[in-house]
Amino acid sequence: MSGGAAGAPKPLPSSGPKSLREMPHPLATSSSEEMGPALTPSPDLLLPRSIADKDLSLPNGTPVDTSSPASSSSLLNRLQLDDDLDGETRDLFVTVDDPKKHVCTMETYITYRVTTKTTRAEFDLPEYSVRRRYQDFDWLRNKLEESQPTHLIPPLPEKFVVKGVVDRFSEEFVETRRKALDKFLKRITDHPVLSFNEHFNVFLTAKDLNAYKKQGMALLSKMGESVKYVTGGYKLRSRPLEFAAIGEYLDTFSLKLGTIDRIAQRIIKEQLEYLVELREYGPVYSTWGGLEVELAEPLEGVSACIGNCCTALEELSEDMSEDFLPVLREYILYSESMKNVLKKRDQVQAEYEAKLEAVALKKEERPKVPTDVEKCQDRVECFNADLKADMERWQNNKRQDFRQLLMGMADKNIQYYEKCLTAWESIIPLLQDKPETK
Amino acid sequence: MEKQNERDTCCERPRMEDCLSKKIEITVSEAEKRTGRNAMNMQETYTAYLIETRAVESQNEGQCSPVDSLWRRYSEFELLRNYLLVIYPHIVVPPLPEKRADFVWHKLSADNMDPDFVERRRIGLENFLLRVASHPVLCQDNIFYSFLTQEGGWKEMVNETGFQLKADSRLKALNATFRVKNPDKRFTELKHYSDELQSVISHLLRVRARVADRLYGVYKVHGNYGRVFSEWSAIEKEMGDGLQSAGHHMDVYAASIDDILEEEEHYADQLKEYLFYAEALRAVCRKHELMQYDLEMAAQDLTSKKQQCEELATGTVRTFSLKGMTSKLFGQETPEQREAKIKVLEEQIQEGEEQLKSKNLEGRDFVKSAWADIERFKEQKNHDLKEALISYAVMQISMCKKGIQVWTNAKECFSKM
Repeated sequence: MSGGAAGAPKPLPSSGPKSLREMPHPLATSSSEEMGPALTPSPDLLLPRSIADKDLSLPNGTPVDTSSPASSSSLLNRLQLDDDLDGETRDLFVTVDDPKKHVCTMETYITYRVTTKTTRAEFDLPEYSVRRRYQDFDWLRNKLEESQPTHLIPPLPEKFVVKGVVDRFSEEFVETRRKALDKFLKRITDHPVLSFNEHFNVFLTAKDLNAYKKQGMALLSKMGESVKYVTGGYKLRSRPLEFAAIGEYLDTFSLKLGTIDRIAQRIIKEQLEYLVELREYGPVYSTWGGLEVELAEPLEGVSACIGNCCTALEELSEDMSEDFLPVLREYILYSESMKNVLKKRDQVQAEYEAKLEAVALKKEERPKVPTDVEKCQDRVECFNADLKADMERWQNNKRQDFRQLLMGMADKNIQYYEKCLTAWESIIPLLQDKPETK
Repeated sequence: MEKQNERDTCCERPRMEDCLSKKIEITVSEAEKRTGRNAMNMQETYTAYLIETRAVESQNEGQCSPVDSLWRRYSEFELLRNYLLVIYPHIVVPPLPEKRADFVWHKLSADNMDPDFVERRRIGLENFLLRVASHPVLCQDNIFYSFLTQEGGWKEMVNETGFQLKADSRLKALNATFRVKNPDKRFTELKHYSDELQSVISHLLRVRARVADRLYGVYKVHGNYGRVFSEWSAIEKEMGDGLQSAGHHMDVYAASIDDILEEEEHYADQLKEYLFYAEALRAVCRKHELMQYDLEMAAQDLTSKKQQCEELATGTVRTFSLKGMTSKLFGQETPEQREAKIKVLEEQIQEGEEQLKSKNLEGRDFVKSAWADIERFKEQKNHDLKEALISYAVMQISMCKKGIQVWTNAKECFSKM
């Protein structure tokens, strides 16, 4: 959809059947008019070599991320507002469901159905349905980390489970994992850069993922390579305040989450012990009822009531275990991986500073700055920009996620008390009932 | 304060309208720690309770009638009750609150001097006096009236009645069995019921204490959320306020359990009263058992004496006896000796028959009046326990409503994050 439709919501340039090549570049004049003054990119990003490298792309039109700081995709990342991610402009939907157990000679494992619905040009078909196992998700995450090192990659649920303690094939475990995997893919889907990643595309669409995995290394991005080759050993002079602040925040944040996790676990434990006692308590009223004549019904009623409360409590504890704790743990893992990205950023900056210093000491001809130092500078600026944008998005999502999580916790407790209230209120008339003359 | 509505069913002479509780107001209004010297002249600490009485009638006329008061300690209550048990064996005598704190959960103190325990005991003692005062038979007792009104010399008065002599020590031997040939089926069933009741209420109280303990733990751990939410809110910008205020509600939630469980103790006390009532019920059955046993023994004795008499009179020996054998071996008695023996036996038989008659009468009276009181007790029990269950349900409802309130408030705070 090129320019003209004033007033209509402007979708992302990549939507619709046209390939990216045919789309007007976001920096092109027509688009910037429609985007409005607020979104006009600042001059320093209009570097000559910043136009998307259309030479490098896969047959189906998906662009390969370039190392240019203002490549179209990373630009999109910074310009993207959360409001764009509503139903109208969304063009990619991914769901994880339908877990199935596979029993083979060598091993037993679970696969999940991954369903994709999209209007994006990067996808040949509007709908896909594939089956993936945890290994595949793990592979995807590693690939994303490799190819998009300047971005925050969402976490996966824990890989290893202690055998014997947790049943890997129990309904609860599988469901909890499914939800986490679904969240993982949705977070990638919502990310304006990661969602265009070619590995992600293949993950969603390939019939035989293993074959693709073996091809592997050929399409490693330039940026990925460059960051990979940054060896440690460069000492960082000074960390920009904002990244230092992010680091400190993440430290405290994951600490507090850890505490909340422990408290929640303790509550569940106490509730289960309470439940054990309640299970003995209720039946005693029933036994007593067996001894009585006039009091038989009231006592039996109380017994049944306590039984109902037991059921309600069981449901509460289960819900907390299955819905609350895993999300907490996910965010703790998220913080850990984010801190690693921060470290990488430090390394890139350190390398740049070291090289800059080396040049300054050499006292060479002034005007020409060596290209490799320039490249380092680009990398630093690109990294910083990507990370900043991702952090902002992460903060917003975190706020929504925790709002939802904690409101959910409150809801579950309210429901528990409401169930108990109903039980006790319903037995009052029974207790007050005057017996007929016996 | 009168909580019983006994129907005037089988009480014969005493009637509800005559009950003391209608005429005077009784309260145990205070408890005070005292120190004194005991019988062995050793210093001891004990609690004294203030009993206040006031005539009801003048209150109705709008006049403020004077309050009489005196102090009594627990051991005096015990003495009163022991007296009532002996003098009115056919009555299910109201029980006293427990002597030592039992069925406690960890937060409660098992210390007799603990203020909460003393307070609950005060209420229990008042309840005891009210029960006695509203009992159609017991309320008429002088010793009871003096207990309420006469501070000095009451102990001596009680001891002068000589009730201890009438006490059947066999009643104390709870587990000894007396083989009764013709037990009254109703009393056997009742005894069985009282045993079962004691057992089930004990069990209930034990488990309830454990339940209270666990519930306490659940609520208190939530208090930790308050602290961590507060700390977390410090590093957040938009989320901070919501977290902080939600944390406050978690603190409120954790604190609310104290009042909830304190109220539940009253329910436990109501159950305990009937646990002890079961014992009183059992005592009546036991008394009947012993009376029956004595009756059977007396009848047996009479029969054997009659037999002996007959044998001596007719010279036939129907039953083997060593005396009979020896007399056969060593020669019979003289007719005079035999006559003397017969005469003695005849006197004894006469006495025995009279005794048996009165014992039978006693027994029938006992059964009649005991059964009347048992019926009265059953109705009281059904009414009271129903009320107790209702109040327990009401407590649970209140607890649920508080829970909903707190979590709704917390949810509101979370929504503002």
